[in-house]
Amino acid sequence: MKILGIDTTTDILNLAIIDNGNIIFDYMINKPGITHSSIIVSSLKNIMNIAEINIKELGGIAVSIGPGSFTGLRVGLATAKGLAFSLSIPIVAVNSLESYALRWKELPGLLCPIIKARKDDYYFAFFKKEKNHSRLIKIEDYQCLDWIGIDRIFDKYKEHIFVFGEGLKEIIRDNQAMYSYKNKVVLIAREQEPPGARNIALLGEERLLEKKEDNIYEISPFYIKKSAAEQKRKEQKNCREDINKNG
Amino acid sequence: MAKKIILGIETTCDETSVAIVENGEKILSNIIASQIRIHQEYGGVVPEIASREHMKNILITCAEALKKAGMQLREIDGIAIANGPGLKGSLLVGLSFAKAVSFALDKPLIGVNHIEGHIYANFLVHRNIKVPFISLIVSGGHTSLILVNEIGQHELLGATRDDAAGEVFDKIAKYLNLGYPGGPIIEKLALKGVKDAITFPRPLTRTPNLDFSFSGLKTAVIYFVNEKKKIQEEQKIEDICASFQQAIIETLIHKTLLASEKHDINTIVVGGGVAANESLRKGMLEAGKANNKKIFFPTKELCTDNAAMIAVVGYYKLMKGFTDSYDLDVYTE
Repeated sequence: MKILGIDTTTDILNLAIIDNGNIIFDYMINKPGITHSSIIVSSLKNIMNIAEINIKELGGIAVSIGPGSFTGLRVGLATAKGLAFSLSIPIVAVNSLESYALRWKELPGLLCPIIKARKDDYYFAFFKKEKNHSRLIKIEDYQCLDWIGIDRIFDKYKEHIFVFGEGLKEIIRDNQAMYSYKNKVVLIAREQEPPGARNIALLGEERLLEKKEDNIYEISPFYIKKSAAEQKRKEQKNCREDINKNG
Repeated sequence: MAKKIILGIETTCDETSVAIVENGEKILSNIIASQIRIHQEYGGVVPEIASREHMKNILITCAEALKKAGMQLREIDGIAIANGPGLKGSLLVGLSFAKAVSFALDKPLIGVNHIEGHIYANFLVHRNIKVPFISLIVSGGHTSLILVNEIGQHELLGATRDDAAGEVFDKIAKYLNLGYPGGPIIEKLALKGVKDAITFPRPLTRTPNLDFSFSGLKTAVIYFVNEKKKIQEEQKIEDICASFQQAIIETLIHKTLLASEKHDINTIVVGGGVAANESLRKGMLEAGKANNKKIFFPTKELCTDNAAMIAVVGYYKLMKGFTDSYDLDVYTE
């Protein structure tokens, strides 16, 4: 079964097709100023031409639903839904942080993928490899905090913690590939591998084989954060309630 | 002639709409998921919320449109998508979905200008519109006069230099704490008011050019209300609404007639959300009668943003062989 994996979580557009667990292609493009929407379908078309795959051969779509860039997530998900709906094939939603963690699952310690959010914040989660198993267990839930907040969570754990992901670009500005501190935190700054699409496709395949497809109408981006307008409104409401309570 | 079926998609602002139209004139379905209630709380459209709602609604709206038309996706001959002007995040949801459907089905993708959609909404209602004609498009985002020489050949004659007419309705309503959207609220209050109670300016009506400018009128209304407050004089809100609405309507009619005279064209086609305003419809029809012009309006339902009108433009473009590649992008203005 051929599965298309789509990752539009970050500035990098990443598409992969796997066939029974084998990666046929893993394509990425990172060109500033070009929107995912203007290149995602044309890229897919070109790659499928080269790989000589007809779109009708696809058996399923796996798509990253975030967290990540709000617009990016919607472009990826709207594309995935359009494809799956038109081709009448199943769709699987995959968490972006989980797909990134899978890439480093052989490392001996905790895994902390991070993705840049708005302002000084990052989306992140902590994963741990299950004993005698290849699966990952999430030990810190998906959150959005600034680096100081994430650093505080590091102190909770004694194990080695491997931090990686697109978000690190902002934290390590010099050219070092790896950086370690507190004797246990290792920052993997320079990654040569594309982000998540192949792992998204692999996870998708796994879930489809378990007949765990998602409801195409119900999948929505995993934003974590409410829109700025909703947040502001909530704050105003809380403030009003405080005033009412405290006179 | 073989039937041509176009699937239209519209997500430029706060309406998610998918329609299926036959031969550019017969609506088989036109499903609209409106977000008005959600944005009402904020007194206007919040772009990020609008994008999120489009994402929620796009597929179910498409499925409903197919179901209502009794059609399968593979029976479609082309996908028409409004790729601008509008809100970027909203446009991207519709365009991404449209491209994927087009690619998966191997059916042509046709990018459509949203404003052109408002013009051709009239073709869903009237079969006797002849080119050339003058079109007035008036909505929350646009106020434009367009010369249509041939179907698909448009020349912009004039547009607003600042606020769109519908935008001023919204802003005045917000200032007077009347709610959102302003158009229908002000229209309702204006019914009980005297339209010449206050003389507000008719901007740019003394110049021969065909541009509009409404921000001065907005300021004049706000200034008037403030002055009345200062001297603690009562002025019926209904009268303010009626007089303000009259100023906008007279300006729109005056400029449209001016365009028609200037270009010696006697057919006028109106569209856009504000074209649902009953006083504008009446006023324009009366002015048409007095000046020997043929005036066309869509039904009120087709004045609001909808995908059927996008499908109409898509149909004409497809007939002329204009389709788009998957590099198609959105544009905001």
